[in-house]
Amino acid sequence: MRVIIIGAGEVGYHLAQRLAVENKEVVVVDTSDEALRKVAESSDVQTIKGSGSSPRILAEAGVAEADIFLAVTDSDEINIISCYYASMLSQGVTKLARIRSEMYTDYGHLLTERGANITKIINPDEEVVNSVLRLMSVPGAVEINEFAGGKIRLIGINLPDHSPIMGSQLIHLRDKIGDDLRLVIAAIVRNDQLIIPGGLDVLKPGDLVYFVCDIRDQDEIMARLGVADDPVRKVLIIGGGNIGFRLAKALDNKYYHTRLLENQQKRCEYLSEHLDRPIVLMGDSTDQEILREENIQDMDMVIAVTGDEETNILSCLLAKSLGARRTVTRVNNFGYMPLIEPIGIDYVVCPRLSAINSLLHYIRRGKIISSVSIKGEEAEALEAVALEDSPIVGKAVRDLGFPRGSLVLCFQRGDEVVIPRGDSVVQPNDRLIIISTRQNIPKVERVLTTKVEFF
Amino acid sequence: MRWRYVLHVIGALVACVGLTMALPLAWGLYYGDGTAAPLGMSMAITVFVGGTAFLIFRHSSHKTSIMTHREGMAIVALGWFAAGAFGGLPFYLGGIFESVVDCVFESLSGFSTTGSSVLADIESVPRGLLFWRSLTHWLGGMGIIVLSLAILPFLGVGGMQLYRAEVPGPAPDKLKPRIKDTAMTLWKVYVLFSALETVLLMFGGMDFFDALCHTFGTMATGGFSTKNASVAGFDSAYIDYVITIFMLIAGVNFSLHYLMLKWKPSAMLKDPEFRVFMCMVLVFIVILTTAVLISGNYDNPADAVRYTSFQVASILTTTGFATADYELWPGLAQAILLLCMFVGGCAGSTGGGMKVMRIMLLFKQSYQELFRLIHPRSVSHVKMGHTVVKDDVIRGVWGFAFLWVGLLILAAFVVAATGVDVVTSLAASLACIGNIGPGIGGVGPTDNFAWMPDAAKWVLTFCMVLGRLEIYTVIILFVPEFWRK
Repeated sequence: MRVIIIGAGEVGYHLAQRLAVENKEVVVVDTSDEALRKVAESSDVQTIKGSGSSPRILAEAGVAEADIFLAVTDSDEINIISCYYASMLSQGVTKLARIRSEMYTDYGHLLTERGANITKIINPDEEVVNSVLRLMSVPGAVEINEFAGGKIRLIGINLPDHSPIMGSQLIHLRDKIGDDLRLVIAAIVRNDQLIIPGGLDVLKPGDLVYFVCDIRDQDEIMARLGVADDPVRKVLIIGGGNIGFRLAKALDNKYYHTRLLENQQKRCEYLSEHLDRPIVLMGDSTDQEILREENIQDMDMVIAVTGDEETNILSCLLAKSLGARRTVTRVNNFGYMPLIEPIGIDYVVCPRLSAINSLLHYIRRGKIISSVSIKGEEAEALEAVALEDSPIVGKAVRDLGFPRGSLVLCFQRGDEVVIPRGDSVVQPNDRLIIISTRQNIPKVERVLTTKVEFF
Repeated sequence: MRWRYVLHVIGALVACVGLTMALPLAWGLYYGDGTAAPLGMSMAITVFVGGTAFLIFRHSSHKTSIMTHREGMAIVALGWFAAGAFGGLPFYLGGIFESVVDCVFESLSGFSTTGSSVLADIESVPRGLLFWRSLTHWLGGMGIIVLSLAILPFLGVGGMQLYRAEVPGPAPDKLKPRIKDTAMTLWKVYVLFSALETVLLMFGGMDFFDALCHTFGTMATGGFSTKNASVAGFDSAYIDYVITIFMLIAGVNFSLHYLMLKWKPSAMLKDPEFRVFMCMVLVFIVILTTAVLISGNYDNPADAVRYTSFQVASILTTTGFATADYELWPGLAQAILLLCMFVGGCAGSTGGGMKVMRIMLLFKQSYQELFRLIHPRSVSHVKMGHTVVKDDVIRGVWGFAFLWVGLLILAAFVVAATGVDVVTSLAASLACIGNIGPGIGGVGPTDNFAWMPDAAKWVLTFCMVLGRLEIYTVIILFVPEFWRK
């Protein structure tokens, strides 16, 4: 399978790396020698120097034989133009474009229907906003991902020491929290190592635990695990850029008390004109006085989403030291990721990681219909539908031949969430949620689809 | 300022007013009540004087030149006084009043839709003149300038200046790209509602004459009746409710009615001013009904609702019809009606007062100041719904509020100086500057203004025009800077 990636920036780089590991034929196009050298050094990909908006370069990259075309430069315009040319040069290619500006996304149907004929527009800003909103909706969770159209959630929590399941083996999980709730522990992150657990693994203090459950059970499970927290209502958003504005707009209702801090007068005027309830403040996020003036110690959540990640990290630390309950930081550079937790920032959002996740989502072949990365990129949760003619239908879970380090977390059968045991049988149209380490993904994909289609 | 041009346009306006006298003249001829002669003569004089001024001051350069802001305001302000003076002619020639001030008072009370009267016995006045008296309401309600804009082609160029001067509200809406079409549209809506109300009133047993006169009084939020006892003279719950509803309709921005008629009801339902207006109406009716029931003015809740809702609608929209003597009601009820006098109708309606929109902006701006004390670094705007209100509009509203209250107090001082008691002089000034009609004290719903000294009547007449043209257009004539070349 040939994949063309336009743009070797942070998003392009990581996509190329991920796809190359999965044995795909990857061609990366960029105008910068430096960026191309970096990609070529780290992954087994072909690189072409030139602009993605040039049809000659696209032809050179072999767009005619390509299956997937990813336009992920930082410029919306170049992404759109390259998709235009790609659709003219090759009829069947699947085109995914990263487009962020509202002036294009508001009229997204014009790009997906005719002309550019883009298969899917990926808007990382919107996804970041959605992930922050999800975090706010489940107080206490560190990370939340959705499956099956939002019916099933994969929730990451820092397991508190007083939790009833602390120190117990996973096979005894049901005895500890009650038989009426369905959940499966999908992964444990311990000492920076990701573990896909088995029944005999024991939960230890300091574990970051990921579990899967029905969204309707979520609050009850959180309560029984001892991680229930006060709901988030008072919010300070730092940075009134695209993400900050979208977020404030989403929180523009009676439930939330939102403050939005921005340091440019003109932008403040714009924000104040377009927002009703949120209070727009002008000032610097590292100015202690303004933070105190606005009662930073009473804030349930401080969300720093300026374009400058150093500012974001520092203002979150300042807010935390002044008493803010939780902080969310936007980070662009993956290099900072390992830093976040040790220095005491609660959550990280990363538009580029969101973009990568969504793009991978659409690249998966067969019937894998959604995927989510856990712990950066070490593991992925996949969602797949068992079609009637699929080889897995009628088999028991233990006979599926999944490799070690991968696990079927649950089935969704109609409206019901089934937590499987080894002898549970896959029925047609079941939605399977599977977790797997990165190296095993091709093997899992192979189990789920036929070999001929895949390679 | 080109005086020839100003007089030229005023001449046309006066001639227009003269032509409208043809309508009462027709009634006079039909009834043969002896009003045909004075009305005919008034019409001849008015049309002659207006037409002569129009022709004498005509100049070829006027066609192409653009009207300045100042000229527009001078034309509107002076044009209103001129219309009022000539509008009083039929009363003078018909022998209704002895003194000139009474004629001008009655005429401008009509044009400005105030509805304060110096007539002691209305029913003794012949019908032709009563019809003229009510017609002045109807002409002044939507605005004689707006009417002129709709029908006089030569005003097209400077139309916007004139329109702004007569309809100065905080946010003048242009319904159509051209001002002439906007004026025409507003008049069409006005005529449509008037026709509807007339028919509904006739169903209630009024004859055509009464129905028409009361429609004029209602739709213009004027308040002249053809009965000494005002609407109470008909003593019909049906008529009370029809008039109540149409008073409220007239108190709402006519742009919203236009959108409603174009099947865009959401525009009205989502309009913040409309919502506040309707909330006030409902809350006031509930409070008043409770108050009058507790104090025992009415035994029957149905009666209480009928009379309080009529009074609230009448005073809040500044119509001034009466079906009950609210001076007999408890203090709380009277205080609320007094509050209504200040508030008035919505911007862009035919109602007077300070206008709901301005009161809302004053509240919001005041809240904004408090908010800024709590959040000194905040950047915020005053908004109506989701729309930002610009700072110059807010400044205009503050200036207006100060001048309105200041001139009200000044007028009350002058009226009191002529020997009227304090409460009455304050109420009379408020009733006139707010274009309401009845006040409290010596000018309550059962009294009239006939007994006042002439000097007080002149002041109050001036106040009526001041209120109708929303202060600025008139008061600017007294600013020396305005006359500087």
